[in-house]
Amino acid sequence: MPADHLSTTFAALADPTRRAILARLAAGELSVSELAQPFEMSLPAVSKHLKVLERAGLVTRGREAQWRPCKLDARPLKNAAEWVERYRQFWTQSFDRLDDYLEKLKSKEKTHARKRRKGE
Amino acid sequence: MPASDAKASKAPGQSKNELVITRVFDAPRDLVFEVWIDPAHVAQWWGPHMFKTTVREMDVRPGGRWYYVMRGPDGNDYAFDGVFLDVAKPERLVFEGAIHGDASQKVWTEVTFAQEGDRTKITVHQVFGFESDATRGAPIGWNQQLDRLVAYLAKR
Repeated sequence: MPADHLSTTFAALADPTRRAILARLAAGELSVSELAQPFEMSLPAVSKHLKVLERAGLVTRGREAQWRPCKLDARPLKNAAEWVERYRQFWTQSFDRLDDYLEKLKSKEKTHARKRRKGE
Repeated sequence: MPASDAKASKAPGQSKNELVITRVFDAPRDLVFEVWIDPAHVAQWWGPHMFKTTVREMDVRPGGRWYYVMRGPDGNDYAFDGVFLDVAKPERLVFEGAIHGDASQKVWTEVTFAQEGDRTKITVHQVFGFESDATRGAPIGWNQQLDRLVAYLAKR
């Protein structure tokens, strides 16, 4: 997946209102006015957020009905999750190595300490 | 692994553009912090298995550059170019940067070092895709709103 798509996904997710919109759409399709209700926001403000979500491919709008229902498309979220997972693996494996490395350092330190004591 | 609880664990409540990983190391905090900020040490352990890290620049102070290259087992190089935002020895490191060719957006990373007796607990908190300048140093606080979304994804 191209990096700029991921950027768009993450940027879309960076706003709490947009996350709330996605969470509500996870339960099913809603019209823009239905979406706007719990947010105490104007319709244009909600539409603006929806545009960002649409650009990120996270929300699609129906064409058939006049109220153009908003629908969640979770695919970009999956890609983002996979990307984050790679970072998780990076840390897990780096931490394994750090663990080993610290053990090595500590045993070296012990050897030095023994040598120092012997030299006294 | 020497420490029984030395395991990467997933923090509760985290979500799609955020990562929290903790692990306890069986070593004193000063030592653990030292091997994080000394390039010679970093090259010895940084990166996934089979990766070789070469630190080109590591200026560990706020505003200092951090540039390294990881060579993967496939021979590909992954360069990270970043900057330290906060350095509080031996408790906290904050940096942000991007890995070239992987993602154009920056990743914000906070590492905290907590002393637990003779051990050290490291917590890595990463935030992806924040708007760099506007939210610099202020990670996006995720709430539980996406729980339903996650449940929804799980059903697919």
